[in-house]
Amino acid sequence: MKKITRHMSGAQAVVQSIIDAGADTIFGYPGGAIMPVYDALYDYKDKIHHILVRHEQGASHAAEGYARVTGKSAVCIVTSGPGATNLVTGVTDAMIDSVPMVCITGQVPTAVIGTDAFQEADVIGIMTPITKWCYQITKAEEIPYIMAKAFYIANTGRPGPVVIDITKNAQFESLEYKYPKKIEIPGYKPNYLPNLNKIKKAAQIINKAKNPFVLVGHGVLIAKAEKELREFIEKGEFPIAATLHGLSSFPSDHKQYVGMLGMHGNYGPNKLTNKADVILAIGLRFDDRVTGRVSDYAKNVKIIHIDIDTAELNKIIKSEIAIQSDAKQALKALTPLIKKKSHKMWLEEFRKCDEQEDKKVHQLEAYPKNGQIRMAEVVRILSEKTKGEAVIIADVGQHQMIAARYYKFKNPNSYITSGGLGTMGFALPAAIGAKVADSKKEVVAIIGDGSFQMNIQELGTIFQENLPVKIIILNNDFLGMVRQWQELFFDNRYSFVDLKNPDFVAISKGYFIPAEKVEKREQLDQALNRLLEAKGPYLLDVKVLKEGNVFPMVPSGASVDEIRLE
Amino acid sequence: MENKEIKKYTITIFTENKPGVLYHIADVFLRRKINIESLTVSEIESGGVSRFTIVQHLDQETTIKVVKQLNKIIEVLKVYASLDDELYYNETALVKVGYKTKEDISAIYNIVSHEGAKVVFVNSTSVIVEGSGTEKDIETLLNALKPFGIKDIAISGRTAVLIHDKASILPEED
Repeated sequence: MKKITRHMSGAQAVVQSIIDAGADTIFGYPGGAIMPVYDALYDYKDKIHHILVRHEQGASHAAEGYARVTGKSAVCIVTSGPGATNLVTGVTDAMIDSVPMVCITGQVPTAVIGTDAFQEADVIGIMTPITKWCYQITKAEEIPYIMAKAFYIANTGRPGPVVIDITKNAQFESLEYKYPKKIEIPGYKPNYLPNLNKIKKAAQIINKAKNPFVLVGHGVLIAKAEKELREFIEKGEFPIAATLHGLSSFPSDHKQYVGMLGMHGNYGPNKLTNKADVILAIGLRFDDRVTGRVSDYAKNVKIIHIDIDTAELNKIIKSEIAIQSDAKQALKALTPLIKKKSHKMWLEEFRKCDEQEDKKVHQLEAYPKNGQIRMAEVVRILSEKTKGEAVIIADVGQHQMIAARYYKFKNPNSYITSGGLGTMGFALPAAIGAKVADSKKEVVAIIGDGSFQMNIQELGTIFQENLPVKIIILNNDFLGMVRQWQELFFDNRYSFVDLKNPDFVAISKGYFIPAEKVEKREQLDQALNRLLEAKGPYLLDVKVLKEGNVFPMVPSGASVDEIRLE
Repeated sequence: MENKEIKKYTITIFTENKPGVLYHIADVFLRRKINIESLTVSEIESGGVSRFTIVQHLDQETTIKVVKQLNKIIEVLKVYASLDDELYYNETALVKVGYKTKEDISAIYNIVSHEGAKVVFVNSTSVIVEGSGTEKDIETLLNALKPFGIKDIAISGRTAVLIHDKASILPEED
C-alpha cells in the first residue's frame, strides 16, 4: 500500500506546505521564535527562493509588489513580537488594496503564551481587524490544512492578506504530513458569476444611454479581464477612465481612453462625470479620492456597479443596478448584449477638456523650457525612453500623482503604488518584490525624498540580491504633497515639511549601488540613459522644482466638477 | 428605499464555534463606534455552530452595512437582521429582592403572580424571582419590585427566532 503521509517536523511541514501551495518566493527575516522554520528552510534552498530583507515592513511591501505583478501570493516569514508587529503597516496596506499575501509569524511556545514572555505579542488580537483571516497554530498536525486554507483565502474572492501565527512548540513537534486536496469552508464560498437578469437589465440601460461613461478599477486587473474589457469598450465605443489602481488595465493610447479619475486625475473624467447619463463602474469601490463630495457625485446619473465584494455595492454611492461578480465574468456576459454604437460627440467633450488640460498644465509641467527640472518632465522622458513598457512603482505624494499622470502605461499591472492606505516607504521594497516576480521587466521605482528615507534600509536587500531595480528620487527637499496643501489651504504655513536631506548618491554608493545626482536639465537625458542601460541596480537623485504643485486637483470636500486646473 | 430613522434591529449571526470569532464580530461594531446594547451567544446543536443574537438601535442603512461586513468574516456561516415584528423574542430576568416583614413577602408573591413570573428561591432575607417575556414585560416586573429594594438583577439578553422564512435584511444584493 502506497504511503500517503510523510513523517516530518512542524517546521518542515510549514515549508513543504508553501511549496505544495504553489508559492515559490519568501520575503523574510529570522528570529528566535521562527528559528525551527528557518532551519527547515536551509534544506529547501533549491526549491524555494528566500530573500532576506532589512526590516520586516520591507518584507510585507515586497510581498505586495510581487503579488501586484503576478497575481500570486508571496509569503512573508518573520519572528514573534516585533517581527510580527513590524508587519502591521504592510498587512493593513494589503487589506485595503486587496493584495493577496500569506504571512507566517513565529510565536512563543504555547506553555508561556499570555505570560508576557520574551518577544511575545498578541498577534491574533492585533491582526484580526486588518486581515482577511488570521489563525494561531498550536499543534503541528494543524499545519498542512491551515496553510492550504490560508493560501485559498488569500487568493480567492476579493484577495487580501492572511496571517498565520505558529507557536515554537508546534514547529518542533512532528506530524504525518498530507497536503489537503481541497479546502471547503462552510462560511466562505466566493462567487464569481453575475446574476444574468441583472446583466440583461444593465445592458438595456447602457444601450439606451446617450452619454455612457465606463470607469474601471483594480478589480479588472485582479480578474485579468483586460481582453474582455477591450472587446466591450470597442464594441460600444464608450469613453473609459481608470482609478489609480485601474491604471494600465486599458492601453492609455487607445482612442476611447480619456484618462484617470480622482483628486489628481485628468480634467475631463472629473469635469464630465456629472454630465454622463449612465456610469458603468467595474472593479472599483468609489473611494473618496474618486468621488469628491459624495452628495454631488454623479447626482442624476444611473449607476451600474459591478464588484466582487458585495459589501462595496451601495456602500458609498447608490446604484441603479448592483451586480456581485468577477469583472471578467461580468464583461463576458455583458458584451454580447451590447449594441455596436458610437458616441463621437460625447467623446469629443472629453477631448475638448484634454486640450484645456494640455494647454494649462501638461505643456508647462512636461515640456518646460527653463527653470528647475520638473517631476512631470522626468516621467515623460522616462515613458518615452521605455516606450511605456516598464513597471513603475511609485511611493506616496506628489511624485506618485505625477508618475500616474505622465507615464503612458502599455501593459497590464505596470503601475504599482500604495493607494488606499497611502503608505510612504512602499516603493523601494515593493520594487524588490516586483523585480523578483518578473526579472524580464524593467522595474523603475519613482520615489520622493521623504518616502525614500522611510524604508531606505532595503537598499541592502537590493545589493545583496543584486536586483537590477532602477530608482529615481524626485527630490524637492520637501514633503511635497503636505507642503502643497499648506500652500493652498493653510496660508503658506510650512509646518515641519522641509527636509534637510543627506547625500543620497553617497548612501547608495555606500550600499555599492551606482548612483548619480542630476541637477540641470541638460544632464537629464544622458543620466536616464545610463540608468536604463545599467545591468545592475542604479539610482538617480534628481533635483526638481522645490515648490511645484500637482494640478489638476479636486480640493478636499469639493465636488468632482469643481476640479481646478491651477 | 432606506432612511435614517433609528429602529431596534436584532442581528442574528451563525458562526463556526472557534476562538476569536466573538472578537472579530465585536470589532465590526467597534469600528463604527457602535456600543453594543445586548449580545448573547451560545453553541446550538452539536457540530460546533454558535448563534449570536445582538440587539441594537440603528438606522436601516447602517444595519445593512454592518450585516454585509459581518458576512465577510470567514467563520460566519449566516447573518441577517430583523425588526421586532419579524420575530418571536424573549428574555429572562433573575431578580433578587430583599424583604423585612411577612407583609412584604406576601406583597412580593402577589406581584410575582400578577406579572406571570415565579419565585425560585427564598431565604430569611431575600427572594429570587424569575420572569421571562419581552423587554417591556421585564421592565414592568422590575418597576413593580423596585419599592422592596432590588439587591441584584441578571438579565439574559434576547433570544429570537424569525416568524417567517426570511429576514428583511440580508447581506446579498439580490
